Amino acid sequence: MAGEVKKSGKMTVFRSDRHEDMAAMVLVGCLVVAVLCYMAFIVPTVTVGAPSDGKIVSIAVSESGMVQKGEPLYTFEVKEKKWTQGKVEEKLVTRDIKSAASGKVLKVVAKPGDELKKGKPIVVLEHEKGTLP
Amino acid sequence: MEDKGIFGKIAAILPGLAFMVGTLWVLRTYVEPWMANAVLFGQKGWLIKVTHLNYILLAIIVGMLYRNVLFGGKIPAWAEEGFRTTRLFIKAGVIMLGSLYTIQSLAKVGGIAILLIMTFVFGTIFFVMFFGRLMGMERSMIGVMGAACGVCGVSAAIATSPAVKAKPSDVALAIATILGFGIMTMFISPFIGKALQMSDYQFGAWVGTGILNSGQVLATCLAFNPTIAPGTAVAYGEIWNVVRVISIPFVVFFITMWYWRAEAEAEHMSLGRILKEKFPVFVIGFFGMTFLSSVGALGAEGSNTLHLMRDVMSWIFGIGLVGQGAYIDIREIKTAGGKPLKVGLAAGCLKYAVALLVIMLFVSKESSF
Repeated sequence: MAGEVKKSGKMTVFRSDRHEDMAAMVLVGCLVVAVLCYMAFIVPTVTVGAPSDGKIVSIAVSESGMVQKGEPLYTFEVKEKKWTQGKVEEKLVTRDIKSAASGKVLKVVAKPGDELKKGKPIVVLEHEKGTLP
Repeated sequence: MEDKGIFGKIAAILPGLAFMVGTLWVLRTYVEPWMANAVLFGQKGWLIKVTHLNYILLAIIVGMLYRNVLFGGKIPAWAEEGFRTTRLFIKAGVIMLGSLYTIQSLAKVGGIAILLIMTFVFGTIFFVMFFGRLMGMERSMIGVMGAACGVCGVSAAIATSPAVKAKPSDVALAIATILGFGIMTMFISPFIGKALQMSDYQFGAWVGTGILNSGQVLATCLAFNPTIAPGTAVAYGEIWNVVRVISIPFVVFFITMWYWRAEAEAEHMSLGRILKEKFPVFVIGFFGMTFLSSVGALGAEGSNTLHLMRDVMSWIFGIGLVGQGAYIDIREIKTAGGKPLKVGLAAGCLKYAVALLVIMLFVSKESSF
């Protein structure tokens, strides 16, 4: 055991590798709990952004309205490309984007017809406390 | 070390730790965005697109510069205790890395890809173990090189290193070998693909299996066909690459068991006893995170929660990697000699050639998905 301590002593502040392993697990445990608690109880609002470049077809929610997890938030039109026989084929596809969390719609930032880049905000939600947005 | 008490120890750690955190902050806040926007050779973001430098590699490189240039070969006393937290952060980062994988994502990809990739991943690891032993390499170095060549370079080498007690210079050598091999194959693969009239599916499958680094898989596929769309080489290459990356937990576990089994034999102890006394228990934490991620306890895929979790992980990893770089002594790499390089290159070339042969013989030109 003394040999092990000597071998690892150069690169650790802990008494042994086992202590360091346990400390790493405790550190991660604390970080995970902190992130989950922060997201579930502290973070005030969540912004839902465009999943890719595309166009808003319709918005299914209105400001101050409530939305449940899994209910549609908006319909999004994207250009889907497919490479077949050495050529790119493009077609327009519409997708219903569902809410990842239940909560109150605070703000609808985008409107139907808006062309958006990936990540641009569409809806701002105040999610139900205790759920993970 | 004299007994300073808990507060004295924490105070001794702070300067070095603050230096590592500050370095990472500068890299992520200023250097990475600057590299993404800088125009070089008439192309915006050339530095990132061509060199694939990300915060992982930047942190290691800057750490190496600190030790070997700024500090003149030795970490100064004021920073020493802080830099000794390096492995704590690397281990914590490896545990959190488990959150990137879910059992469901493996099931999505399909039988052929899983079978082929797992065969190549473990085949390469066995080859490195065999050839490395033949060349008289240290087992820690064999473990890291096996992971690096078998899976997907940088992440696998880093994830395996603490479990097999590898030296930072071992990790640096493994990473340098596979990145060097990747750069070489990045340039020749598109020519081979065109010469053999490979389809996008075949080329993506080959490169996704044979090239050892995720960024380089992407670049090579785009050099073969610059279109990004389902059905192109880059789409198939990434699917293949994802399966290889998902195999990291299994590879870490396999190599860890291989290493400790031999340790037990060397110390004339039972495997059970050595596992109880010396097994790196943080590996269990890694699997714990994969389990939590698979049951959705860390938030749904694409959710803001999981996004924040991964951001925290990248910071924890990044702090450890600055320290890891600072423990890489260039003189140690020189004294390690050419053995690891030879073993890594032999494993890389063999995998690259056999993958090409298998795909040309057994994989059809059109994909089933």
